[in-house]
Parts: sequence; structure tokens; C-alpha cells
Amino acid sequence: MADADYTPKFAPFFGMAGIAFAMTFGCIGAAFGTAKSGIGISGVGTFRPDLIMKSLIPVVMSGIIAVYSLVIAVLIAGDMGPPPDLNYSLFNGFMHLACGLSVGLTGLAAGYAIGIVGDMGVRSYMYQSRIFVGMVLILIFGEVLGLYGLIVALILNTKSRG
Amino acid sequence: MATRRIISSDKGVLDVDDNGFTSKANEKSSIAPAVPAHVIYKLLGFTLAMIVGPIGFYFASLNTLFGGNSTYAGASAAIVANIVLMGYVIVAFREDQSEAMEAAEKERKGK
Repeated sequence: MADADYTPKFAPFFGMAGIAFAMTFGCIGAAFGTAKSGIGISGVGTFRPDLIMKSLIPVVMSGIIAVYSLVIAVLIAGDMGPPPDLNYSLFNGFMHLACGLSVGLTGLAAGYAIGIVGDMGVRSYMYQSRIFVGMVLILIFGEVLGLYGLIVALILNTKSRG
Repeated sequence: MATRRIISSDKGVLDVDDNGFTSKANEKSSIAPAVPAHVIYKLLGFTLAMIVGPIGFYFASLNTLFGGNSTYAGASAAIVANIVLMGYVIVAFREDQSEAMEAAEKERKGK
């Protein structure tokens, strides 16, 4: 009877919600970053085609945001299972929800930052080549926000084995 | 013909570029000469590395390197993603404007 209090039937709902939130929010951020910086790259590429290779850095960084979300979603999915084999506790459900929300929403924030900085930075780089180092640095600082969410999610995920 | 020559010689670089662009557009609609092959191979390689690298390293190292500890495997997958990013930044940084100038000269010779 006490076990049913800790592992209710609806507990996997929160874990599944964590997986879905991680993937959807992270991919919204990555999509925004890719699309917004892609607009800037298309604008620059018509005038300076030699800068396209360097200008693609925000797109690669947006891809990394999606990889963070993917890693956490795979990690959570590995801890879940159908009830007869695995008693999925409510603690694990909420913890996985927190994992997914932390990596998803920080990915959304990081993708938003990368999109805007990538768009304007690439357009400015067309006129002033010295802005490249600053642009990459700003992009790294924006992308690190998603990394913080990933670190928190990974640390949270260790609690399921306690 | 004569008036065209005078105009192009008067206006200089911008007008020559404009003429070259229109003539190239009239010839073919292929993108192949505009982007060199090695750049395409680089981009394809990084795309493949970004898709396969982190998640592949996660599943490869989960049971071999870390003995089923998925936290370390996930962290190392994120590290692999960042290594791919570092590689891209370095490759993009090394591809400086000298290569672009050479490509532009080749294009001018080709015309």
C-alpha cells in the first residue's frame, strides 16, 4: 500500500511530459536560431559569398542546442519503462519533468539569443571583419545558457538512482 | 556594343561584377562552380558529424566506457557536440580571405 503512494499510476505522465518538453522547447529554440540567423546569412551571401562559411557558425550552434535536448530526452527515455518491470515513482516523474523543462526552456532562451545575435552579427560582419571574434564570443556565451540547463538536467538525472 | 564597352570601362568594378553575374545566370543555373568542392565536403562532413557524432558516442560509450552510467555518457555526448563546434569554428577561421581572393581570381580568369 505504501508503494502505491510513492509510485502512483499517473507518475509516468510527468516523465513523458519531461521528454516532450525537452524536445519541443529545445527544438523551438534551435529552429528560431537557425531561421533567424539563416535570414542574415542569406542577406550577406548575396553580397559577400566568401563569408558564408564563417557566417554558418550560429546555425551550427543552434544545432548543438537541439543535441542537448536530444541527449536529455534519450536519457529520460532510458530510465522509463512499463509498470510491471519498473516501478516508476512520482519523484522520478517530477524529476524528469524538471530535467526536460530545464534543458528545454534554457535551449529556447539560448536559441533565441543565438538567432538574434547571429542575424545582426553576420550582417555587421559584412561591413566590419573585426566583429567576427566578438560575434563568436557572444554566440558562445549565448550557447552556454543551454549548456547550463543541460548540466542541471544531468545532475538532476543522477538522483533517480539514489 | 561600343556604348556598352564605354559604360563598363567607366564604372569599374561594380559594373563588371554586375555584367558577370547576369552573363553567368544566362549560361547555366547550376551552383557547382560557385561553391568549391572542398567547401561542400567540409560542410557535409560537419553536418554528418553533428548528426551522428554526439548521439552515436552516447550509445557507443554507454555500456563500453562508462558501464551503463548514462549521466557520464550524456555529458560526454554534449562534449562531443562542442568538439564538433570547435572544429567548425577553427576550420571557418582558417578559411581566411586569401582563399576567397584566389577563387575570385580564378573566376575572373574563367570569364
